[in-house]
Amino acid sequence: MKRFEYKVPGGKLLCAKVKTEDKNISFIQFTGDFFLLPETDLEDLENQLIGAITDEDMIQKKIVDFFNDRATVIAGAKPEDFAYVLNNALK
Amino acid sequence: MRFLDLKVNDAYTNMATDEALTKARGEGKSPDTLRFYRWNPSAVTLGYFQSVEDEVDLVAMKRYGVDLNRRISGGGAVLNSAEGEITYSIIMDENDPRISSDPTESYRYLCHGIIEGLGILGIEAEFKPINDIIVGPRKISGNAQIRRYGAVLHHGTILVDFDAKQMFSVLKISDEKISDKLIQQAEERVTTIRKVLDRQVSFEEVRAAMEKGFAKALGVELECGDLSEYEKELVAHYREKYASREWRFRR
Repeated sequence: MKRFEYKVPGGKLLCAKVKTEDKNISFIQFTGDFFLLPETDLEDLENQLIGAITDEDMIQKKIVDFFNDRATVIAGAKPEDFAYVLNNALK
Repeated sequence: MRFLDLKVNDAYTNMATDEALTKARGEGKSPDTLRFYRWNPSAVTLGYFQSVEDEVDLVAMKRYGVDLNRRISGGGAVLNSAEGEITYSIIMDENDPRISSDPTESYRYLCHGIIEGLGILGIEAEFKPINDIIVGPRKISGNAQIRRYGAVLHHGTILVDFDAKQMFSVLKISDEKISDKLIQQAEERVTTIRKVLDRQVSFEEVRAAMEKGFAKALGVELECGDLSEYEKELVAHYREKYASREWRFRR
């Protein structure tokens, strides 16, 4: 399991824990003290990322598009921060 | 607004009660409610998205007899100590015009009762976005909100006293987490009512000040009430979830 932790400046702590198999994500969990409504959106995002190819740009697009489509309300972090911690955890 | 006066429960009953009130309010079966509560035994309450292994020292918790608890709302881990804290919750209709859809504004509005209450005690405090109330540079109250079932649940802590040794034995604080904080020393980032006033303030004095503070801030009359039979049924139902290992160790 690889992990990357990041304190969003002026915001909250965000951590990604990830496992891969043949360049595909096999496990992903975001944790931290951020706020996200509705809470179930995060589990949905994690489920959608399972099997995704570990390409930095594709992950960034997938995460940002997901939160925008859902109009998820996030406080203490931005959609880009979730992509940032995941991409760094994958490095 | 209904007022459920200060009661002491274990962590799982406390969390189940907040969810029960939210559910019943959303269904239109309960009025808007302000609730005060305390904890016995003490508990570490994790935010919804936090990881057990990253946030707490389970061995130290066992040594101190502190329960592991997880709440329905986001935010950070807190030690809800039996001897040092009053917790409050506010449950209102999600469509109440007083509550902004903007998170910072709805926190600011619902946190105002604490600021008024602290003012009655002679403490000048202010709201610090996203979810803190501070006295000078130090946090005295942390707050969290969710919207579910058609209702808003806003709950938070009021630090009355604190045992720094216990708090920082059970909570893990990573270097990354405090990388942008002005005060690096953990004990110096929080304060308490007793510390600020430098005297033995009783729970009753804090409770009475907060009751007045919320009535003023929300512009309501508080009417003492009790849980309905339906709410009690919901509490029993949700308590099983909060006490379960599956819920508490979900992240």
